[in-house]
Order: sequence, then structure tokens, then C-alpha cells
Amino acid sequence: MSKLFDARRWLRLIGDFDQFLLGMKTTLLVALLGLLIALGLGLILGILSCVKLYGFRLLARIYVEFFQNTPLVVQVFFYSFGLPFLGIRLPDFMVGVVGVGLYHAAYIAEVIRSGIEAVAKGQVEAAKSQGFHSMQTMRYIILPQSLKVILPPLTNQAMNLVKNTSVLSMIAGMDIMYYAKSWAGNNGFFYQGYLTAGLLYFLLCFPLARLTAKLENKARQLPTVTTLRMMEVDS
Amino acid sequence: MKHITKKLLSLILITLLLFSLNGCEKKDTIATIKSAEVLKVGCKQDVLNFGYLNPDTNQYEGLEINIAYEIAAKIFDCSLEEAKNKEEFTAVNATTRGPLLDNGDIDVVLATFTITEERKESWNFSTSYYTDAVGFLVLKDSGITAANDLDGKIIGVSNASTTKDAVTEYLTEKNISVSFKEFDTYPSVKVALSSGNVDVFSVDRGILSSYADDTTLLLEDRFKEQDYGAATKLENKELTELVDGVIKDMIADGRLNTYKEQYNLQ
Repeated sequence: MSKLFDARRWLRLIGDFDQFLLGMKTTLLVALLGLLIALGLGLILGILSCVKLYGFRLLARIYVEFFQNTPLVVQVFFYSFGLPFLGIRLPDFMVGVVGVGLYHAAYIAEVIRSGIEAVAKGQVEAAKSQGFHSMQTMRYIILPQSLKVILPPLTNQAMNLVKNTSVLSMIAGMDIMYYAKSWAGNNGFFYQGYLTAGLLYFLLCFPLARLTAKLENKARQLPTVTTLRMMEVDS
Repeated sequence: MKHITKKLLSLILITLLLFSLNGCEKKDTIATIKSAEVLKVGCKQDVLNFGYLNPDTNQYEGLEINIAYEIAAKIFDCSLEEAKNKEEFTAVNATTRGPLLDNGDIDVVLATFTITEERKESWNFSTSYYTDAVGFLVLKDSGITAANDLDGKIIGVSNASTTKDAVTEYLTEKNISVSFKEFDTYPSVKVALSSGNVDVFSVDRGILSSYADDTTLLLEDRFKEQDYGAATKLENKELTELVDGVIKDMIADGRLNTYKEQYNLQ
């Protein structure tokens, strides 16, 4: 216990805190770029799994099943240690971005698919009867309505993505966990190093968790508000 | 906002409570080890001639394993053969050996653990039983043949080891600048070397030689002598003295040298 509360060790941590900030920068950048890839690819795959054409649905299915059913660590090790043997070398930073991006795209695709499927079938039929073609139906009728179903699990995915960037530490990816391990190991101050890493990840994820809760609340309230507005327009 | 403050406060209180529970540790003495009838030793499983788990026999072997037997024989006052049954080996790496020792999961660390001033603040070390120098392992087809070729290269080292500082010191003198990547285990540094993610694998030469194969080249450079010692918990003075005594005796009566010859260590 004395080791946990040893002031000298915490002072050393404050002195070396720039290392942790370097790690924080990498983690943030990897998470942001990874999220962009995951959102873009996830949206495309999510829509593809709802189209009529069987080929597209199959393609999306294979992607989702493959990436959901293999561990992220294995995927990242493949990008880092496997690809070089095939003549492709990605910098560690890109391994992180591509790793969490492709992995979470599979999960986000499923979130989007379930969101689209949650919109009542009558809406599609109504849109069709008003002359919307399928792209327009998706853009103006289905996606806006599925948004409230999609948003809470989507922020949840963003949070998981941030945490999963810590896999980078295993391939020396210079993220928060890498510097925490390095600092803790070099000094022998494991409590201080790992607690700080945990705290930094918490700081990144807690706002996202609050946002998820807020969006969930909002999703529950939305219907009554819309009905009122529509009635005013009608009168 | 008030709501959140309250919640946070209770969270902190619960955490503190958990930590205070953790504080009720039992005392570590030689008597505890004796009554458990087992000496728990942290050793390497992937370093030939020091601590190596032989896949054919599923037995640990190496210089450090023999020292562990000698220590157990002293504690339990029995023969070396009997001591083998009173030993429990846990495979450790540079990152895990410290925390495992602090937790009390292991009593002694004999795992190519270099004695340094900083580490002495966290653990007790015995008299050194082996001295090794740091070296470089590179791929033959990389074109690197001497330290002078290393400018701008990436050096792969083991996490929580003294190698990084040693290499920096050695190369700075030669006006060569390099960058580092730290990995958790020696095998992962070797994989990184083979896949080209790092240009050089650097650690103590005794360890490097067990990773050398026909694609690699061990450079001539040897620098920064590393003294290996047996580490024990800082609070456990009694065990520290006993371990130190055993190693001093082994040095004095030549037993240590006999073991070293057995494993072809100088």
C-alpha cells in the first residue's frame, strides 16, 4: 500500500507526464481517424445489408461475420507482422487506424442495419406510393427515422473504439497504454503508471458514455414532440 | 451537477475501502515459506542457459534454475534432489516480474534481472551471480555489419529492461541517433525483427544468442556490463539475507562456476 501512496513516485509521474500526453495524442488521433473509417464503411455496409440485391447483402454479411468473429488483436498482429511478409508495410499509426476502423465498421454496420429494420414497413410503402424511388426513400424517409434508434448504440461503439485502440500497445504503437507500460516498467512504478492510463482512458470515454445516456433519453421523448408540430402545420 | 458530485464521492470512497482491505496482507517471512513447503520462484522460460522451459521434458533448466534449487535446499534444509519438489516456478517477463514480486505471488525473482540503483529502491537484490554485456542482433540481408551502420535505425527492446538506456549511452558516444520500440516479450521483438518492423534486436548477448539463427547476425559490439541479481521483496529482509548468503557461498566454493561451465557461460 505504501507503494500506491508514495509521493515520490507520483512526483516522478508528474515530471514524466509529457510521455503520457504523447500517448494521449496518438490514441486520440487513431480513435478519430478510425471512427471516420468505421462510420463511413459501416454506413455503406449497413445499407448494403438491407438492399434487395442478394449479392450486396451477402457481401456485407461476409464482412460483418469475418470481422466480428475474429479478435481485434489477431487482426492487428496480421496488419503489423503479417502484411510485411506480403510486401506491404503499414506504419504503426495506420495499423491502429485501419485496425479499429475495419473492426468497428462491422459493428456499426449491424447497428445501422437494425436501425433501418426498426423503421416500420408501412413507411417504405407510403414513400413508394408518393413516388419516392429507393435511394430517396432511404435518404428522406428511413435514415432520418432510424437515427434515433441508431445514435445511442453508435456512441457506445465510439466509446468501445477508443478503448480498443489500446491494442496498439502490443505492437509498440506509441499510444497511452504503450507509454504507461514503458514508464511503469522502466521505473518499477506499476500502480502509478497503470492507474494513470486508466484515468486517461476514462477521461476520453466518460463524456461519450454521458452522451449515450442523453441520446437514449431523447430517443424516448421524440415521438410526442413531432406529433405536435405536425398538427400545427396541418391546421 | 450536485447529483454527479455525490456519485463521484461515493465512488472514491468505495475505491479507498477496497484499497484498505488490500492492506491486510500477511507478513512475509522464511517461516511462511517453510510452512507452505514451497518456494515460489519467478524465472524466464524463453532464455536458453538461464531460464528455459524445455518443451521435450516440460522442465525448467538453466543457471538460474540451479540457483533456485540451491536456495530451496538451504531454506528447507534438504538435498538438491529433494529441493526440486519444493519449488514452484512461474514464468515471468521484464514487465511482470516486479508486480508479481510485490503481490507476493512469487518469493524470489531469478530472471536475468539487472541490478540498478533505481531498482534497488523498489526491490532487494542479492550479490550478482552473472555479468553480461548488451549487444545487437540484426538480419543478415539488412546490410548492417557494425554499430556505425545504425544511424536512424529502429531498435527493438524489451519493455521494462535496462537495454534502452545502455544502447542510448553507447550510441550517443558514437554520435549515432536511433529510435526505440518496446515489446512485452523477447519472442515479439524477434518477430518484429524478422518482419522488418524493427531493424535491430538489442538485449544482453547471452539472451540474444538464444534467438540467433541462420538469417541473423550478432554484431561484435559489447557494452554496458549488466550484473544479474536475485530479487526479493523490499520488506522481506530475512529472505534477502538468506538468498544473498546462498549465492555468496556458491561463489566462494566454486559451485557457481561449475554450473556456468555446465551451460557454457563464461
